[in-house]
Amino acid sequence: MWKVTIKGILAHKIRFLLTGVAVILGVSFIAGTLVLTATINKTFDGLFTNIYANTDAAVRQKAQFNVAFGAGRGRLDDSVIPVVRTTSGVSEAAGIIQGLAQLIDKKNEALNKGQGAPALGFAWIKERDLSSFHLTNVKGEKESRAPVAPNEIVIDKHTADKTKYKVGDTIPVLTKNGRANYQLVGIAKFGNADSLLGATAVIFTHDTAAKVLGQPGKVDEILVKADSGVSQAQVVRNIKKSLAGRKNVEVLTGAQITKENQNDIKTALGFFNTFLLVFGVIALLVGSFIIFNTFSIIVAQRSREMALLRAIGAKSGQVVRSVLFEAALVGVVASVIGFVAGVLLAVLLKGLLAALGVDIPASGITIPTNALVWSFIVGMGVTVIAAVFPAIRASRIPPIAALQQVGADQSAGSWKRIVAGLLVTGIGIAFLLSGLFGGGGNALQSVGFGAFVIFIGIAVLGPTIARPISAVLGWPIRRVKGITGLLAEENAKRNPKRTSATAAALMIGVALVALITVFGASASASVNATIDKSMKADYIITTEGFGNGTLPRTLEPQLRKTPGVTLVSGVQSGFVKIKGSVTNALGVDPKVVGSLFDLEVSQGDLQALQLDGLAVSKTKADDENLKVGQKVTVQFAQTGRRIFTVQAIYDQTAVPSYVISSAAFKQNFPDVFDAQIYLKTEGGPTPQNRAAIEKTMKTYPSGKVQDQAQFKAAQSKQINQLLNLVKALLLFAIFIALFGIANTLGLSIIERTRELGLMRAVGMTRRQVRSLVRWEAVIIALLGAFLGIVIGVGFGWALVKALSSQGIKVFEAAPDQLILIFVFAAIFGVVAAIWPARKASKLDVLQSISTE
Amino acid sequence: MTASAPPPAPPLSAIARAVNVSKIYGSGEAEVRALDNISVEFGTSQFTAIMGPSGSGKSTLLHCLAGLDRVTSGQIYLGDIDLSGCSEKELTLIRRDRIGFVFQAYNLIPTLNAAENITLPMALAGKKPEPAWYEQIVRTVRLADRLKHRPNELSGGQQQRVAVARALVSRPDLMFADEPTGNLDSKSGAEILSFMQGAVRDLHQTIVMVTHDPNAAGYADRVVFLADGKIVDEMLQPTADSVLDRMKSLGE
Repeated sequence: MWKVTIKGILAHKIRFLLTGVAVILGVSFIAGTLVLTATINKTFDGLFTNIYANTDAAVRQKAQFNVAFGAGRGRLDDSVIPVVRTTSGVSEAAGIIQGLAQLIDKKNEALNKGQGAPALGFAWIKERDLSSFHLTNVKGEKESRAPVAPNEIVIDKHTADKTKYKVGDTIPVLTKNGRANYQLVGIAKFGNADSLLGATAVIFTHDTAAKVLGQPGKVDEILVKADSGVSQAQVVRNIKKSLAGRKNVEVLTGAQITKENQNDIKTALGFFNTFLLVFGVIALLVGSFIIFNTFSIIVAQRSREMALLRAIGAKSGQVVRSVLFEAALVGVVASVIGFVAGVLLAVLLKGLLAALGVDIPASGITIPTNALVWSFIVGMGVTVIAAVFPAIRASRIPPIAALQQVGADQSAGSWKRIVAGLLVTGIGIAFLLSGLFGGGGNALQSVGFGAFVIFIGIAVLGPTIARPISAVLGWPIRRVKGITGLLAEENAKRNPKRTSATAAALMIGVALVALITVFGASASASVNATIDKSMKADYIITTEGFGNGTLPRTLEPQLRKTPGVTLVSGVQSGFVKIKGSVTNALGVDPKVVGSLFDLEVSQGDLQALQLDGLAVSKTKADDENLKVGQKVTVQFAQTGRRIFTVQAIYDQTAVPSYVISSAAFKQNFPDVFDAQIYLKTEGGPTPQNRAAIEKTMKTYPSGKVQDQAQFKAAQSKQINQLLNLVKALLLFAIFIALFGIANTLGLSIIERTRELGLMRAVGMTRRQVRSLVRWEAVIIALLGAFLGIVIGVGFGWALVKALSSQGIKVFEAAPDQLILIFVFAAIFGVVAAIWPARKASKLDVLQSISTE
Repeated sequence: MTASAPPPAPPLSAIARAVNVSKIYGSGEAEVRALDNISVEFGTSQFTAIMGPSGSGKSTLLHCLAGLDRVTSGQIYLGDIDLSGCSEKELTLIRRDRIGFVFQAYNLIPTLNAAENITLPMALAGKKPEPAWYEQIVRTVRLADRLKHRPNELSGGQQQRVAVARALVSRPDLMFADEPTGNLDSKSGAEILSFMQGAVRDLHQTIVMVTHDPNAAGYADRVVFLADGKIVDEMLQPTADSVLDRMKSLGE
């Protein structure tokens, strides 16, 4: 008996570890996210403080509408610069121009054409104090100097190192005006860093920049340095006074513009932050199931001890407290370890970002207090809350139980449980559906909360369905494995509450993976269906670049001249504000679009779309009550308000809700690129036609030529890339659930010592014992996977239905991938069983059979 | 026990032998000799009871004979196999295929029904019992109408009968019983013992039983008395009274 007790204590160490692991992983995710974002925020704070160190004021256009990275703001007339410069208190003033410019390397590849860091272009600023770029000399090369002639440029050091371009080289650069060669006259650093977070930078003279990046005679912004002794507020007042006559101009202090940029980055990163925190919360939800289960089992196993305590006079409250105290202890230890692991995770992620080319300037890791506080709140909170029910159950053990043999809890389903489970699940479904179909501002929260409640509801129902489903899942195992299979199935069924709680932890991760799988498959299938039905072009030229595409508008006429090409039309995309909301609008050539891509016009005439004509999707037209002939105000960043007339309504859901003519687009977006170019060729897609197009594209390496099949594959790939990242993060939740299975089985084995000993005595081999435990784990894992897949497919179906107006019309359950999830779950079960199976097979036969 | 019982045959062909077996726990001052240079043989178709006061080493001897425990020195033979030279796995297979067990309590797997419990060792070996033999065993222990019941639906006596059936169903060379009636009332105990007696007499099985109950020993063909790890006496054709007398004399 002593040895068994000591073994029990030793087993507790691992039990504590396994219980804690669930919390540790969840906490580390949350702490890691908070530390990483704090670190990145601090880095950017420092970056902008540095950039605007000498900027005392900034002059710019008022924004037409607010959208990320200032895309809703028009340019300023450069006639303002001399006015500002001569204002009293102003020491220096410089016009800023920024845009897209792609460097082409020595292998004729466009740099930064993917979805990572952008390819940027700037105007050189002569006023050193106001410039973020500073020339630097490279050993063994000609001395760097500022660009002076129209064809001279400077590039950032990181790009120069990467491309091995040297001062004096001729470099091709793609801008909105097409491809042109420039003379490299200097290398520059961005502040202290070699690059601007991995973006490539091409710096032109001011006049060239205005031509190739923005608009001649205009600047994005004017930065001002005040005379020494003049305060930021004072110089802003002076500038406002001298610009009094000009409308739509705003003047900010240096501090304000610094703060604004810092906040913009924080907002942009906020999404990333939320994204990671959601996974932390999922991990903790899974963890709470495991903790709940572990404490339930511990309480059951110690019911004699608890009853004894009660018999000698412990109050039920004292029993509750003793269990909660133990939980709190686990929580504290797990929080501490989780926090430390989180900091390490942040360091790791930062390194990963650097490896991906996001060059975060060197600075230490910032550990915000909230990371520490949240680690403890969340870690301890989840542990203690999850242990409350088991603790209450412990306190209800009657003192008489100390004297009785306590049997296993075989209770599964009571009517109360079924009703409660159905009720909770129903409430969850109601929240989910109202979030998906009801719309409204809190749709996401409602969906998330609904999903959470459904998980709880199914977990409540779990014990009632665990037995029958285990029997079904166990059937093939019983057939193949004989007696060990039968015993494994019986073991999985003997304590339905335990089995279902263990499976529920896995269910959550699997449900979310299944949801993503179904959603991805449906989205791909919908896109494919749309392309099959509506795409009439033989070739599509695409870019993956930053923003709204980077195909210069000069490419289209080049393609028109290409032999074999019969029809060419570029498509543009950009932000506009219509009916109070900022949205993407599409620019098409109304004459030919119908021959290239079917918009399914149901009212009006798209082909006759005029310069002030607007085409609206059916969904949007219904929502906003728009009819053909109606006048609508469209607000553009650069050109302000324009009146358009609705001239067509289309049913196609795979494109943005508003379409205008390319001519109108060019008028209102002076710096526009083509997002995609559609082509039709003589005789359809043939090798000759492709070769001819590829030849033209040599000059424009940022574009990719795709036929319909390649376009489909690329679209699916794009969808799946993001979803695979999400799946990878969800694997984390599944991973935690594995610890749960291992933990439950480990604890069950302690209970079944006597029984295992008997089986060993009558001739069960160690291998058979391991197989027994392994197949029980597989059944639990498959139960979790089954429930998860059912829920996930349900969620996916609801999501697809809700998004049908967004172009996702086909529901594709992807049975092959779901089967794969099921198979993986079984493998995970085998993995989770390794430790408990070893433990069970190593039990000493003689000691086991003499255990009481 | 009836007067018409045939005289016990001396162990002509010994199925199990212990040769100079010692089992020592601990070392130095704390050394305990559970078995002290014991040699004993058990013949086929014989029902042997091992008796002795607690701490005499009777359970240890049984465990060593059954391949559940290892001896410190000496040899244990089952037929001509030396158990002390067997690996853990070989011992397991020997227990499965050649030995039957009945313990004092907790003999059955709670998740299996009576029939499944009876055939467990054979199922572990991937074999099926011979139908005729299985029928005979089930009939002998009078379990035919209880086969689909789980252990918690059976009385203590019924549970032990299932255990006896399990121990016999694979026609083992030897069946070991460790206080098989220790947890039963006298009526159920007597029932179990007569089944065991019947198995030896009618079905020609070999049984070695550890007990401290002279009444139980009275069902055996032969009693071996242990004290302080040594064999101190032996008795053929025992009765409860004669065993009790001998126990008393040993105790003195």
